[in-house]
Amino acid sequence: MSEHHHITPLKIYFRVAGILFFLTAVTVWVSYVDLGFLNIVIALLIAGTKATIVALFFMHLLWDDKKNLTAFVLSLMFLAIFIIITMSDTEFRGAINPEIKDPINKRAAFYDSLPLTDDHGNPIHEDGSHESGDKDDHH
Amino acid sequence: MSDNHQNNYLTYPKGIMSWLLTLDHKRIGLMYLFGGMFFFFLAGAIALIMRYVLATPEADFVTNDQYNSMYTLHGAIMIFLFIIPAIPGALGNILLPLMLGARDVAFPRLNLFSFYLYSLGAVFVIYTILAGGVDTGWTFYTPYSTTSTTNVIPMTLGIFIIGFSSILTGLNFIATIHKMRIKGLTWYKLPLFVWALYGTSLVQITATPVIAITMVLLILERLLGIGIFDPALGGDPVLFQHFFWFYSHPAVYIMILPAFGIISEIIPVHSRKKVWGYKFIAYSTLSIAFIGFLVWGHHMFTSGQSVFSQIVFSFITYFVGIPTGIKIFSWMLTMYRGQVSFTPPMLYALSFLFLFTIGGLTGIFLGAVALDIHLHDTYFVVAHFHYVMQGGTIVAFLGGLHHWWPKSFGTMYNQTIANICAIGVFIGFNGTFFPQFLLGLRGMPRRYATYDNLGSEALVEQYAATHSYSTFWSGILGLSIFISVVNLLWSLRKNNKLDPGTNPWGALTMEWTHTTSPPHPHNFEEEPVLTHGPYDYDKVLVKPTLKRK
Repeated sequence: MSEHHHITPLKIYFRVAGILFFLTAVTVWVSYVDLGFLNIVIALLIAGTKATIVALFFMHLLWDDKKNLTAFVLSLMFLAIFIIITMSDTEFRGAINPEIKDPINKRAAFYDSLPLTDDHGNPIHEDGSHESGDKDDHH
Repeated sequence: MSDNHQNNYLTYPKGIMSWLLTLDHKRIGLMYLFGGMFFFFLAGAIALIMRYVLATPEADFVTNDQYNSMYTLHGAIMIFLFIIPAIPGALGNILLPLMLGARDVAFPRLNLFSFYLYSLGAVFVIYTILAGGVDTGWTFYTPYSTTSTTNVIPMTLGIFIIGFSSILTGLNFIATIHKMRIKGLTWYKLPLFVWALYGTSLVQITATPVIAITMVLLILERLLGIGIFDPALGGDPVLFQHFFWFYSHPAVYIMILPAFGIISEIIPVHSRKKVWGYKFIAYSTLSIAFIGFLVWGHHMFTSGQSVFSQIVFSFITYFVGIPTGIKIFSWMLTMYRGQVSFTPPMLYALSFLFLFTIGGLTGIFLGAVALDIHLHDTYFVVAHFHYVMQGGTIVAFLGGLHHWWPKSFGTMYNQTIANICAIGVFIGFNGTFFPQFLLGLRGMPRRYATYDNLGSEALVEQYAATHSYSTFWSGILGLSIFISVVNLLWSLRKNNKLDPGTNPWGALTMEWTHTTSPPHPHNFEEEPVLTHGPYDYDKVLVKPTLKRK
């Protein structure tokens, strides 16, 4: 491949750097504006654009053998598969059983405030007596 | 004899250092072969002890803790030190450059480095055994693995290191297949074993980094309590299973795809017939490799994952059956109207077709959510994956070993003994594992040393009868494998050399037609020229020749 080695003009490097600085400024600016659920979408869009132009220009993927670009995009695709399919679990856990709906971290501190229970969820009183009945019926 | 000793990679160059520092893919392959076989026998011995314990309802001479350690070590050693590296590391290394007409793999030094990484990982595993074992099961599920007092860290560190060996082998093979083919050897003229190694290598480099990061996260969780898998710190233990199976399900295909490749080589050669559906077999390899990435959640149907993702995973799982079915039917049609000869490699390949089909079809049972809830963590699962991994991969490995043994060592084993052993493996295997389907259907859970306290004498009797039957046949299975390996090694005795030009199966792939047995240290004495396709039995007349020196 070395005979086709591409030499990028310095001008392009400076332009790309300028765009990156500009986008960084936009990131900072946009963080002061509350756009609701769009906050994270826009932040990721800007970051994604920056990563893309770094890969294309600074890492030469634009001019390289396209196999390298394919490998790079495929690796992102596999990451996306992993995250999206895992979210099909974590985002839908409450569909049948609302008890497990909330992400566990919201319930973590909640454990401390719960009364003591035995293995079946029946409350245990300080004096050791048990209350009968299945807790699952009360949902 | 001495005039041509420089033409044999086994004898030239000489000396122990020429082996330890070798860059020759064939020697590295042999080191993988003997390393892998050592661990195969170690983990196999553990399995036989477990079968002995299970023959009676009480645990005979092991404690429950020792039993927990035994099944963990059996699983982890078999998978990470034998099945994953065995076929690509041993047979793949020996054969890939020969099949491509290349002098070596693309990165010979990297190849040697992979072997030393494998050895370093093995040292950690041996340390784990000597330090008292590990009892989490080979899957290292949290939360237990974060609290177990056994040697989780050395074991997972060993697996972390072996993972890098696997990635580097995959990388090496991909570069080799892309760049080292001789002139005229286009993709559709490659032997199907090469396609299988290509698919395997893709999975190795895309999936294995995930097991590495999973093991690191587990170690950090144990050492520093970072909380990623701990609900009390905002983590999620089920996330560990997602991480783990995102690698380990594709890893199932790292284990089985090379076996498919071996079968695709053995069947046309020993049927004297062009392989049926070449492109279908080649592309089904790649589609299995890809679909394998989308189905990991079927290991987690009882983990508490969402019902939605259970449906998604269950649905996608069925798709694996399509390319796999294509392969099975292609192999059967390859044999149809061929001149099938019942040589040892072919007997193993035929066993493979039966055993792998049973393993694959019971996988569809387990892919159905409703049925899996009942069968999860029972002996049905144990039987299923042994049908796939042992009945599939190890049987194919033994077949490949018998097929390429004359190529690798220039000697021929006793074929009658090898045939008897192959039949012994088939019968012993079915006798061992078919009863385990029945045990599982009746509710016998896996990973228990005892089953004497079930509250029902009748059930205990049933279990004991079936278990002892399974144990009896496991002895036959172990003995058959042991004798077949001794038979192979016995062929290495003095004055048992074959004529270097011998082609005992009459095969047409380049490793048989273009070089000697055992091959030249540089593979080919002169630049090889492609004269025919790998399965052109309809065009080229080639007869099996078995000449002794």
